[in-house]
Amino acid sequence: MLSLQHISKYYQVSGLKNFVLNDLSLEIDQGEFVSIMGPSGSGKSSLLNIIGMLDEPSEGYHYFAGHAVHQLKEKQRSALYKQYIGFVFQAYHLIDELTVYENIETPLIYQDFKGAERKAMVADILDRFNIVGKKDLFPAQLSGGQQQLVGIARALIAKPKLLLADEPTGNLNSKQGEEIMELFRKLNKEDGVTIIQVTHSEKNAEYGSRIINLLDGKIESSKQL
Amino acid sequence: MIKNYLKIAWRNIVNNKVYSAINILGLAAGMAVALIIGLWVVNEYSFDKFLPNYKQLYQVELNFTTQHDGEHTQTAMAIPLVDVMRKEIPGIKYAAETDWVGWQWHSLVVGDKKLYLNGGAAAPDFLKIFQYPFVKGSAKDALTDPYSIVLNESTAKALFGNADPINKFIRIDNQQNLKVTGVIKDIPKNATKQFTFLTPFSFKEQTESWMKSARTTWTNNSFNAFVELQPGVTVEQIAPKIKNLVYEHSPQMRPGKPEVILHPLKDWHLYSDFKNGKAVGGFIDYVRMFSIIGILVLLIACINFMNLSTARSERRAREVGVRKAIGSQRSDLITQFLAESMLITFIAFLFSILFVQLALPYFNSLVDSAISIPYTNSIFWGIMLIYVLLTGLLAGSRPAFYLSSFNPVKVLKGSIKEGKSASLPRKILVVTQFSCSIALIISTIIVYQQIQHAKDRPTGYNAARLMMTDMSGDLNTKYDALKNDLLASGYIESVAAASSPVTNIYSHMSLDKWPGKSASDEAVNIAAVFVSDDYFKTLGMTLKEGRDFTHSWTADSTSVILNEAAVKRIGLKNPINQLVTWNGNTVPVRVIGVVKDALMDSPFTPVEPAIFSHGHVANNIMYRLLPNANTQDAIKNLTKIFDSYNPAYPYIYQFVDEEYNHKFNLEILVGKLAGIFAGLAILISCLGLFGLAAYVAEQRTKEIGIRKVLGASVSQVWLLLSKDFILLVGISCIIASPVAFYFPQHWLQKYDYRITIGPVVFVLSAIAAIVITLITISFQAIKAALTNPVKSLRSE
Ligand SMILES: Nc1ncnc2c1ncn2[C@@H]1O[C@H](COP(=O)(O)OP(=O)(O)O)[C@@H](O)[C@H]1O
Ligand SMILES: [Mg+2]
Repeated sequence: MLSLQHISKYYQVSGLKNFVLNDLSLEIDQGEFVSIMGPSGSGKSSLLNIIGMLDEPSEGYHYFAGHAVHQLKEKQRSALYKQYIGFVFQAYHLIDELTVYENIETPLIYQDFKGAERKAMVADILDRFNIVGKKDLFPAQLSGGQQQLVGIARALIAKPKLLLADEPTGNLNSKQGEEIMELFRKLNKEDGVTIIQVTHSEKNAEYGSRIINLLDGKIESSKQL
Repeated sequence: MIKNYLKIAWRNIVNNKVYSAINILGLAAGMAVALIIGLWVVNEYSFDKFLPNYKQLYQVELNFTTQHDGEHTQTAMAIPLVDVMRKEIPGIKYAAETDWVGWQWHSLVVGDKKLYLNGGAAAPDFLKIFQYPFVKGSAKDALTDPYSIVLNESTAKALFGNADPINKFIRIDNQQNLKVTGVIKDIPKNATKQFTFLTPFSFKEQTESWMKSARTTWTNNSFNAFVELQPGVTVEQIAPKIKNLVYEHSPQMRPGKPEVILHPLKDWHLYSDFKNGKAVGGFIDYVRMFSIIGILVLLIACINFMNLSTARSERRAREVGVRKAIGSQRSDLITQFLAESMLITFIAFLFSILFVQLALPYFNSLVDSAISIPYTNSIFWGIMLIYVLLTGLLAGSRPAFYLSSFNPVKVLKGSIKEGKSASLPRKILVVTQFSCSIALIISTIIVYQQIQHAKDRPTGYNAARLMMTDMSGDLNTKYDALKNDLLASGYIESVAAASSPVTNIYSHMSLDKWPGKSASDEAVNIAAVFVSDDYFKTLGMTLKEGRDFTHSWTADSTSVILNEAAVKRIGLKNPINQLVTWNGNTVPVRVIGVVKDALMDSPFTPVEPAIFSHGHVANNIMYRLLPNANTQDAIKNLTKIFDSYNPAYPYIYQFVDEEYNHKFNLEILVGKLAGIFAGLAILISCLGLFGLAAYVAEQRTKEIGIRKVLGASVSQVWLLLSKDFILLVGISCIIASPVAFYFPQHWLQKYDYRITIGPVVFVLSAIAAIVITLITISFQAIKAALTNPVKSLRSE
């Protein structure tokens, strides 16, 4: 599904290149569930952002679903992203001014779904996530776990082929975290969604089919479960 | 999608009430100013255009070139010129001679109703040229019978009530009865020529003795004339044919090198200042000036919006990041933020309509207009739509492009601390705002300085308690008796009569010969006033040398008194008892006195050379109340006296000081308007500054808390938060000063008598601006400084 080849990311600090990712190569197939681990500052988020096209690498080649991403223009990249990728954040990042319903609906608006279609899709996912009763609440009125649920619903609403999650359970207690992981597993198994998650928890990492360990911007180890 | 944008925009407005109020009210005030100025400009351009065919209508004017006065343009011309134009110039459809329509006051009496109104005499074609809509009668024959009169609707109503006035009679000046043959609609306020009735020019010719030879006398320049050109004929085609008509027909007029020109109706209101024989400007200068001010105030309001929106960007940054992370393109975000500013602009526009509606009555009375919001005009709403869109774009595009540019990875990590890149443009915008506001304030102060300067100018006479009345009806012939009665009333100190009022010069004549005149010297155009005895005494003018006229009307018939300006102009040494000739007479007259210069015309121009002659041709009577007289009682008493001499006329009086003050009307109006708009400009700017200060204080809450924990005092924190703004306003003062020197300096060139712009006004304005700034931001700064540091640190 995606392939990174000799990817580097660095920041110029007083003339010196400060490498965050250093000549990193990685292949991920359709249907995989990958957990990325590593100490803080090892470049996990940076890697995820590059995979998710939110950020560009300084060097290297990036292929996604048959496209050479490093050659695409901003607009094309954005179209590709919209079609394939959903993002889940550690800090949920819901829009405070929108209700639960509207937050989930927003990606559909950007993808030009018709009103009636949107309604049906949002109703469906609210139902699936068991948050129908919360649909008119604003994010501030929800608990952290509920917010993350909404965040995941929003990431999934447009049926992405690839779900990227940066420490999705980082702000949650272990029970809430487990629920989220169960949900991920189900998505991966039943719906065939490819998932890449960053996590600090061994236990959560083991929900995946592969664990990649990062250190200083390089893949230190990779093991198939 | 737009619905979604508007929804979030609306929630943002509601959730940030103070910020939204500042944004909306500031923008509304700016939009209201621009709108009201726009309506006013449209009104100024609409002048006289209600007349059908206005493009083909012209006033006939004359250019004269003389040695002493250069080239000047006047509307006064002689009747034979009109006859020649009417009969001999192809392309002229109609030509009509008139007297000073609108400036001629007459008494109109019906039964016990007495009115003293301004009207005039006009040839029948006048109503074909100017197609004022008729309520009754028609333009075709309304002025053909010499003993007829055309009234406007309110005059007809005032005289006849609801009865049909047609064919009813009005007694005019207690002398003749005129039959009403037409009623026209009241002349709208946006017409240059204002009058309440018209009498036939033939009536004037038949009943006023001095008119007898006017139709054949080329030198009797006492009339006005108007023409309509044939359809398709242009003024350029006519101009060469009429240019030399006076020169060719009248050898006596040749020394003045007269040229006949046409002044188009569409330019009467805005282009009425003539220089070197051409209309170069006039009120248009003020229209342009206030247009610019309107745009500036709107710009200032838009800058508020830009600055506050970008300043709050940190709050919106996360939303931008999230939206980008869930699939928004930059263009979607630009659309979203523009939609948001459109919504705010639209709300502000609704407020601005409200503000304009509330301000219009006051504004109309200030500028003497009848402007209203054309609610039912679809073109107006079309323009308003464009206005809202353009304003929204102007105000919203910078925030939209700035906010939408955020990198989602950075903002979601929370690492967007706005750096120099955002705060520098904001500083430049603040400086722009304050430069404009301060320049406006300085300019306003200079306008007021100029007004005060002219008001402080010594007039050369004493206006206190000095009154004047037109010498109408029988007053002139009964002057001596009237004067005695007035003096005997116990209210009056002194009485005099003259051919012109204290505050105007009605006639100019030529001073032809004087001792020491060289062969190359041309005659001098000189203000001529015929006066009674006691004239100088009554007005409080002082004789520099020589003596006043005597009480006998006949003893001084060959004596004249000159003013200092006249003596200076002709370079007369030892003027007393010198002989001069004037007004085309061959018999010389003797100079018996020289009077000190007095301002009889504009307070802004040099005193004209003037000649005073002892003559019984008064148009005005002037009289000074005794210092201890009670004005109310005096007027009651005076009414009785005047009514007994002049039963057909209402007693109408003017106080000279009030009349003199009217000469500042335009300048005071300009000063007031400039002051109001400058005030609003600074108010809107400060509103923005208030918002920015709040933002800065909020942004630095943590820093302030730490400083306070470390021992900073309230005043140190206050200084910390204030000094950046003070610096910006200081820079604005420096930028504003040359601008505020250049434009007022240019304006002052209109005036011969003017101030020199000194440094004081700039220094004072700068101090005022800085004080205002400090007051504005101190609220926020002190609030921040007083906050308990533990609170603000805990919230981090
Ligand atoms: N804008 C930036 N400028 C300089 N260094 C950065 C920037 N963004 C991230 N970094 C650095 O990149 C490194 C990796 O960051 P990140 O990918 O967030 O690590 P992780 O998610 O594994 O904790 C960190 O050392 C961080 O300091
Ligand atoms: Mg991270």
